[in-house]
Amino acid sequence: MYLSKRILGAIPVLIVVAAVVFTLMQFAPGDAVNMLVSDEASEADKAAIREAWGLDRPPLVQFLSFLGNAVTGDFGTSFKYKVPVMELVMEKLPATIELALASTLVAVVIGIPLGVLAGARPGSVWDSMASAFSFAGISMPNFWLGILLILLFAGQWHLLPSGGRTPWGLDLPRITGFHLVDSVLQGRWDAFLSTLRYLALPSIVMGTNMMGIIAQMTRASVQEALHEDYVVTARAKGLSGQRVLWRHAFRNALIGVVTIIGLEFGALLSGAMIVETVFAWPGIGSLLIQGIAARDFPLIIGLVLVYTGLFILVNLLIDLLYTLIDPRIRVS
Amino acid sequence: MTKKLHMILASTAIAAAGSAALAQDFTDKRVAVAITETISGYNPYADPVVLLGSVWCQVYGCITRYDWEAGEFVPFLAESVETLDELTWEITLPEGLTRHNGDPVLAADIVHSIEYLGSNPGSGKSYLVAGWEKVEAIDDRRVHITTATPDATLRDNLAGVAVTSKALFDEMGDDMFRQAPYGAGPYKLSDISIGEHMIIERNDDHPMVQAQNPRQIMFRIMPEPEQRVTALANGEVQIAQLVPPQLRPRVEGLPNARIETTNSVEMMFLGMSPKTHPWEVKEARQAVAHAINREAIVAAILQGQAKLLDGPVSQGQLGFDPDFKSPYDYNPERARELLASVGLEGVEVTLSTPVGRYTADRQITEAMVPMLEEAGFSVTLDTPEWATLWANVQQGNVPFYYMGRGSMIDPSRALHQYFATGGSPRLGFSNAELDALLAAERAEFDPATRAARMQEAIVKLVDEAPAAFMWQHEMAWGVANGVTFNPHPADQVNGWEILVE
Repeated sequence: MYLSKRILGAIPVLIVVAAVVFTLMQFAPGDAVNMLVSDEASEADKAAIREAWGLDRPPLVQFLSFLGNAVTGDFGTSFKYKVPVMELVMEKLPATIELALASTLVAVVIGIPLGVLAGARPGSVWDSMASAFSFAGISMPNFWLGILLILLFAGQWHLLPSGGRTPWGLDLPRITGFHLVDSVLQGRWDAFLSTLRYLALPSIVMGTNMMGIIAQMTRASVQEALHEDYVVTARAKGLSGQRVLWRHAFRNALIGVVTIIGLEFGALLSGAMIVETVFAWPGIGSLLIQGIAARDFPLIIGLVLVYTGLFILVNLLIDLLYTLIDPRIRVS
Repeated sequence: MTKKLHMILASTAIAAAGSAALAQDFTDKRVAVAITETISGYNPYADPVVLLGSVWCQVYGCITRYDWEAGEFVPFLAESVETLDELTWEITLPEGLTRHNGDPVLAADIVHSIEYLGSNPGSGKSYLVAGWEKVEAIDDRRVHITTATPDATLRDNLAGVAVTSKALFDEMGDDMFRQAPYGAGPYKLSDISIGEHMIIERNDDHPMVQAQNPRQIMFRIMPEPEQRVTALANGEVQIAQLVPPQLRPRVEGLPNARIETTNSVEMMFLGMSPKTHPWEVKEARQAVAHAINREAIVAAILQGQAKLLDGPVSQGQLGFDPDFKSPYDYNPERARELLASVGLEGVEVTLSTPVGRYTADRQITEAMVPMLEEAGFSVTLDTPEWATLWANVQQGNVPFYYMGRGSMIDPSRALHQYFATGGSPRLGFSNAELDALLAAERAEFDPATRAARMQEAIVKLVDEAPAAFMWQHEMAWGVANGVTFNPHPADQVNGWEILVE
């Protein structure tokens, strides 16, 4: 019942987002025909293509027609690539999600211990170092960090590839589209290792900002929790400092941290556009950039709706996760 | 302790795998090319980008191609392309020509391909066949094309016509491009991943290829120049397109790669639309041409990697006259005099420029602003997003802009488009005398006479100055050692011209 309500509630959000994006694209100068057809084409040729793509119809008709098709999962055909948008999304989405999950992993694995370390010893050297590290993570622009790591790890030390998702010639039949999962399912450890190598730099870049935010959030939550009565009680019972920290303070601090992870995961997906472009990562972020440059309306709206849907889904999952962290919370 | 050991092992494994994979090994004769542009899917007619057009020509075979050594368009898929009279051309296919799947290439395929180019919404290059009144197959090997007016540029246009199969199209429609991309070119389509790469594979049955040519070529989209250069240094790609001036020393310092250069045939210019004030005044346009210190910009910003233009063309292009020198030297005093002579001192103008589209475009136009102001203009610099600027230029809504125009081996189409009356709205320039000269060159079939006609048109064009012609960039490509690749002025990467040791 709860799930049904949440899913139904997402529909008007998706329609509003589609309407806003469509309206904005109507006001944006230039159209797909001017961007995609050679500049030597005659105005008559361009008019014929506009008609064939349905761009000569009134905007409202175009939008309603798009919505009618979108209900059935048909976002139309990309003007630029001449391929159904949904097919492109299904092909590229796993790459974006895999990168976002890997980045989240990087952020959580570094950010949470860093935050706990700082929160457990406020005012200490550890706290200062952890804060400096996390603030550096928050303030470093993805673009700059990406280029820097490419130069060092690929250009200087030749340790990792500069971009892309797989090496040329790696034949990994697609099952899920998630390379790590597919390589495990097929027992292809060479492919698994190779995928890790290609994931390393973009996930570090994308995860750095999130790491800083998680570290700061964890630090504050742990500090607050350590002053709660139940922590004093636990200490009074004679529990060890580590046990009090991880079992009692950290677990209670986790609710706020998980919320931030959920919100940041959504931001991560949209932030992937820059990282995907810098690392030539074949996900929906770089595809959206190409779509915008070409004024490819079906592709742009389709991808924005996918982003919105993902954001809603992640928030729903976070809500469900609360019940696991704190059994007192019920989804109803 | 155990955790530490795991971490060390993991990082060692990653590093070891990395080093092994990054070593350059050409024994499999595979060459990866880092390119700047995206790939418009499977349809060979959709891509107006020159480099990708040349890739499709390698797969399907185009009717003609430009021979850089001969300096002319020569038959490629065709056996011959000849004029029967002023308006009629005959294309003849070689006997027994087959596609990669063994199907014959027929005259009907050429007719179908031209019709698709001209009228299908999937085509982005309909301009190539504009003005062709009739295209008919005479028999299985011969096609006649009838043009509305005499058109000496037809062989140039045919270089963009990839010949696809009519029979397969009748059976599958546009799905043919994806499911049965059987061409008759020296390479076969192996794989496309949209937004990522395109791979072609050598067709050993084709007479143009040899064992030293790459067995496979991957065109990888890498929009960031830093990444292209790093991938070259890292051995991930063997050829990197468009190395900007600031990264050239880095490539020159690499132990595994070098720089190969060529002059572009893309003219860079400042366009001035006479439909708008003050550009309807010839003296104002000429003042711009005198105001820009091109030598200083090329030396300081482009680090010497550009060739100054005396007109729209340079050495190797039709209409180039080595004796013709631009009358517009850098002379701010003369520019001020010209403006003063028509009472336009202090006139306000807006200079629009793309950002990141051309080499150092923003820096160049920023340098131009004080130069123009010294000449007496009051200048605002406008830096819109490319899509916005381009749309407005095409609609004739940008009065004054910095722009490039490629595909000018034969400059006729470009000059007609920008400077002939009704050629396009982007400048809106009109001059009856220039129109007559441009029409005369296009109607002339004798190469020497046509070149002379073109030179006359260029002299008139430079005098009228609807554009101030700046330079052609020197295009730098990064090339791995062990690979021979001599880039051409047009952005083409032809497999049969790449040799792998």
